[in-house]
Amino acid sequence: MLNLVRHSAFTLALGLTSLISLTAQAAPYTPATEAEVVERLPGRASDPALRRVDSLRKQLAARPNDPALRLEIARRYFDMATAQGDPRYMGYASAAIAPLEKSAPDNADYWMVLGLIQQFSHDFEPALASLSKASELNRSSPEPLLWRAAIFMVEARYAEAQIECQRLAPLNKPLLSTGCSAYVQAMTGQLEPAFKKLQAAVGNTKNAGPELLLWQYTRLAEMASRLQRSEVAEGYFKSAFNLGITDQFLLGAYADFLLAHQRPVEVLKLLVDWERSDILLLRLALAGSITKDSRADNWAAQLRDRFQAAALRGDRLHEQESARFQLDIERNADKALELASSNYQIQKEPRDAEILLRAALAARQPKAAQPALEWLRTSRYQDPAIEQLANQLTTQGVTR
Amino acid sequence: MKRFFLIVAGLFMYLIQSTAWAHKPSDSYLTLRASSNSANITVRWDIALRDLDYVLQLDRDGNGELTWGEVRQHSDDITRLALSRLELSSAGKPCAWVTTAPLMLDKHSDGTYAVLSLTAQCASLSSALKTRYSLLFDVDPSHRGLVQWIAPGTENSQALIFATESAEQTLALNPAGAWQTLRQYLVDGVWHIWIGYDHILFLLALLLPAVLVRRNAQWLPTPVLSGAIKEVLKVVTAFTLAHSITLSLAALQIVSLPSRLVESAIAGSVIVAALNNLRGTIEGRRWVMAFAFGLIHGFGFASVLADLGLPQGALVLALVGFNAGVELGQLAIVAVFLPLAFWLRGTKFYSVGVLKIGSLIVAILACWWLAQRLFDL
Repeated sequence: MLNLVRHSAFTLALGLTSLISLTAQAAPYTPATEAEVVERLPGRASDPALRRVDSLRKQLAARPNDPALRLEIARRYFDMATAQGDPRYMGYASAAIAPLEKSAPDNADYWMVLGLIQQFSHDFEPALASLSKASELNRSSPEPLLWRAAIFMVEARYAEAQIECQRLAPLNKPLLSTGCSAYVQAMTGQLEPAFKKLQAAVGNTKNAGPELLLWQYTRLAEMASRLQRSEVAEGYFKSAFNLGITDQFLLGAYADFLLAHQRPVEVLKLLVDWERSDILLLRLALAGSITKDSRADNWAAQLRDRFQAAALRGDRLHEQESARFQLDIERNADKALELASSNYQIQKEPRDAEILLRAALAARQPKAAQPALEWLRTSRYQDPAIEQLANQLTTQGVTR
Repeated sequence: MKRFFLIVAGLFMYLIQSTAWAHKPSDSYLTLRASSNSANITVRWDIALRDLDYVLQLDRDGNGELTWGEVRQHSDDITRLALSRLELSSAGKPCAWVTTAPLMLDKHSDGTYAVLSLTAQCASLSSALKTRYSLLFDVDPSHRGLVQWIAPGTENSQALIFATESAEQTLALNPAGAWQTLRQYLVDGVWHIWIGYDHILFLLALLLPAVLVRRNAQWLPTPVLSGAIKEVLKVVTAFTLAHSITLSLAALQIVSLPSRLVESAIAGSVIVAALNNLRGTIEGRRWVMAFAFGLIHGFGFASVLADLGLPQGALVLALVGFNAGVELGQLAIVAVFLPLAFWLRGTKFYSVGVLKIGSLIVAILACWWLAQRLFDL
């Protein structure tokens, strides 16, 4: 025992990277037969989206200087990346448009796609610049404005987000600009009027596409939840599910709603087939740990592997989830706080603030929560759950 | 238009948040190990089959499943691709690649990887080793090459990350100069004495009576500081001398003892030293005990040094550094102990509380260690 302590202390002291080499270095093997299937490639060969982009890639070999073709490929990869959450596709999209920086610097769509890719890897400043360029080159497109607003929201730059929403108004897309403004208002102390505004907008647009409705229902459900109208929220979630679109964002939001209302058993049922999604696996693991489900350990182990792999490559995209995992599953408040603080330097959405408050509380380091408390004060964001966390921190001696 | 709505739908939601689901970005894993007696670098390189398929179209029948046959048939293509994307060079000359084993497979958290076993034959490893990595960067700029570099004469790996903006890097050719080795082992030595409770307790047990003298079967405070200093010096020097001898003999692999025996004897030595304070039988010749048991403690230090791994090229340097570190650590303990003990030596607290009760507690603790180590509890 003493030897063990000694040895591990030494390992630590030397900063050996034995852990890293352990994960990367298992024993290689040779399969027994030629026919053995060793890997299943994502997206069946029959997947039409994959087939289409494959054929476009073949065309590109013949026409490497065709900007429209490159942008088409990049767009398709971008859509695949967001639909399936596969970052490799984002890399492929990035490679597809790389030559256009020199050959087509005045192509609005190039800057649009570049901005999308940049925001995906959280390069928010370059993304804002690219989107701004896209907007200058194509004044009638709402897309770059919407994305700029979205980035400002993530960075808690509400005034700037509101400006982008207002720039949408003259583009004759009242629905978009109303939705955009309502969302900013809901973050900045006008939750009730924003909720009513969006509710009215939904009522007036019967023929909106199901994807747009999905977005609106989910937002309304979240706002209702913050207004403590749980049944109304539940109703909007149901309406969203009834649209019949499989959507991981909706699943995640509903799972959080269920967890907040102590209904973990329903989370297990809802997400049982979603182990492959990091953010949904996290919710599964949380629900599993609460209900002491026999699969909980396995889910936690899978998450541990994924976060470790991300950390190895120096990835900071998952610090929010990682912090939540450390706090609620690993019960390591210090580590959770470290991640939540680091995450909050980049992302400042309510859920980023929430995990920072919770981690600071658990680690008994109320001062570390200061940036989130500051945000709560200046934005006038309304959510009883977050309010309660802030109050608890005050009792630990931090001033608001 | 539909796609546009899809984007709107995703907007303001978690799209920007973090969207890595089951999949992780593309990484390859490299272990580069320098040989200590030649200019060769052994390389193990794990590359995701999925990435190889994207570039080489391994799935020839297009059914979305890769069989071992489909992979194996392309092992030459895979090797050729890999070797064209990794350059090692020393002294301005590129190292020559040799494949040392057939292609194998390994499972990582996100799928199956091809495992390449290679050797880079370099001109020499005396100057810096330059590396240039460019696997997949042309098709996926977010790809990373994650490297574990094990320099000659070390077992410790150093992590490097190759990315599009850091495709060229220099591998440090340890063992980092003599001074660095000396310093590292010195720190290890200090650290070890600080966390080696058994060594500290043994030493303290021997030092506790140094500020006292025994008269008529009773402990009395020593009248002058110089007496106490002399006593401490004798014990510390004897202990140091003894453990230096056995540490060197063991580290140079001249003598070796089974570790259970050594660890148990160390626990035993603490018991004896502590009990001696209760009876005072070998008053005046504690340095003999320090020397005798110091020999055993030396073997204990040696096993730690063995765990650390000794640089083959700088064995003596490491040994000297480690030993000096242990001494420095000891001196620090003495420097705190001596003034404190001398100040308290006349009090009942010291002669009863610290010396008697303290020694008793130490003895009991050491008995527990002894039992643990003897019976592997």
